[in-house]
Amino acid sequence: MYNSYELNESVRRALDLYSQSMIKIAFAYLKNIADAEEVTQEVFLTYLQKRPVFENSEHEKAWLIRTTINKSKNMLKTGWFKSRNPVPENLSYLPKEENEVLQAVLSLDKKYRIPIHLHYYEGYSIQEIAVIMQAKSATVGTWLARGRVLLKDKIGGLEDEEICL
Amino acid sequence: MKKSVYKSAMSRVKTSEDFKEATYQKFMLELEKTTHTTTMNEERVKMEKTSKRKLTGLTVGLAAAAILAVGVISINQNQSNPASTPTNQGQTAEATAKPPIMGKVAVNIDGVISEVSADGKSFKVGDLWVEVTDQTKLGSSEPTAEKPSEELLQKEFKVGNIVSGYTSQDVSTGKVTADVIYNNMAPQADSGEKPATTAKVQVNIDGVISEVSADGKSFKVNDVWVTVTPDTIMGIDGPTAAEPSDELLQKEFKVGNVVSGFTTEDLSTGKVNATRIYNNMIPQK
Repeated sequence: MYNSYELNESVRRALDLYSQSMIKIAFAYLKNIADAEEVTQEVFLTYLQKRPVFENSEHEKAWLIRTTINKSKNMLKTGWFKSRNPVPENLSYLPKEENEVLQAVLSLDKKYRIPIHLHYYEGYSIQEIAVIMQAKSATVGTWLARGRVLLKDKIGGLEDEEICL
Repeated sequence: MKKSVYKSAMSRVKTSEDFKEATYQKFMLELEKTTHTTTMNEERVKMEKTSKRKLTGLTVGLAAAAILAVGVISINQNQSNPASTPTNQGQTAEATAKPPIMGKVAVNIDGVISEVSADGKSFKVGDLWVEVTDQTKLGSSEPTAEKPSEELLQKEFKVGNIVSGYTSQDVSTGKVTADVIYNNMAPQADSGEKPATTAKVQVNIDGVISEVSADGKSFKVNDVWVTVTPDTIMGIDGPTAAEPSDELLQKEFKVGNVVSGFTTEDLSTGKVNATRIYNNMIPQK
């Protein structure tokens, strides 16, 4: 168990190291930076309150990502989130190609775009994504493959890329 | 698509520059909220059991209420504007102009201790290291103030304790010596004599407005939608309460405003009517 000081330090360190990753994952899920930041704050609050113990920093990061995904899912389910009609995030400041790619990924169903985000942005392998998403490796492989096919239809490319199981 | 394009695009997506500060601020508010709720619940039970007991600590209690009110402001301002001078932190110009009428005490050290030095003479609140010396007064020296109990003003500074106090030094330096420490209490102190809490206001709506409904009658704070009805009481009443200024209690609810208030309804439903709104103010930049 942590004492208060250690916990504060571990939360502070996690905030420094992982907050951007968590915001980006939540953004990939919710498509809105303000919501993504709110979810990320909720995750850190949970960290502070539940005081989980981790084996190592990778375990800690995986927990934070998993919790971010869960809280993003919860937010999507809430009535007020469904009922509102948010303005799409303005990404016009990105270079054209990057903007197109990002919009294409965000337009995918979330079951495809989260594995794609975890693989292409975080660099996780299929096995690692499977652990984080609590799914079978084969299922994750299928999601990635289908996601890539859909992206190929939208923006081209990817045909020469393979993901090794 | 190359891997690098997506990674590069996602890396460039802009996020709030003050995300970390906002997160720490949220932690503070949550801790504060938890502490207030616990303290108030304990106090309510105690008061029911001991209805004969008079409010002997009313004076100190009023000071504590003032600390709470000022604290709500200073928590928000200290974090967002560390370069402010002590005199303008936690107080509006109006509050500064008439402290005796409002019974407020100057507070610019306020929050939860996150670190304590090895010698126990210094502690960290937010980003500020505060040193307690022999010159530091412990407790309020106001003429009507009662001597605070050991629970409210513990001798030892510990991580997690809630402290409030005042320094005449520049808090923007990051390290100051405390002139006065009003409170130093454990976050969930057990029962006992706690006169200071008897006059505290109950706050369970507290934070920054993230959304406002189209009709302007409802707003979202944290995860709760709060509706202001004709029955909602605005401001703080009581024999010593000053009339709230337009600055502290604006008529219009706007995104980014800092609100505090109280509802008797169940917050877990996600949508409540406000019983009372104490503050609705623009955060100082």
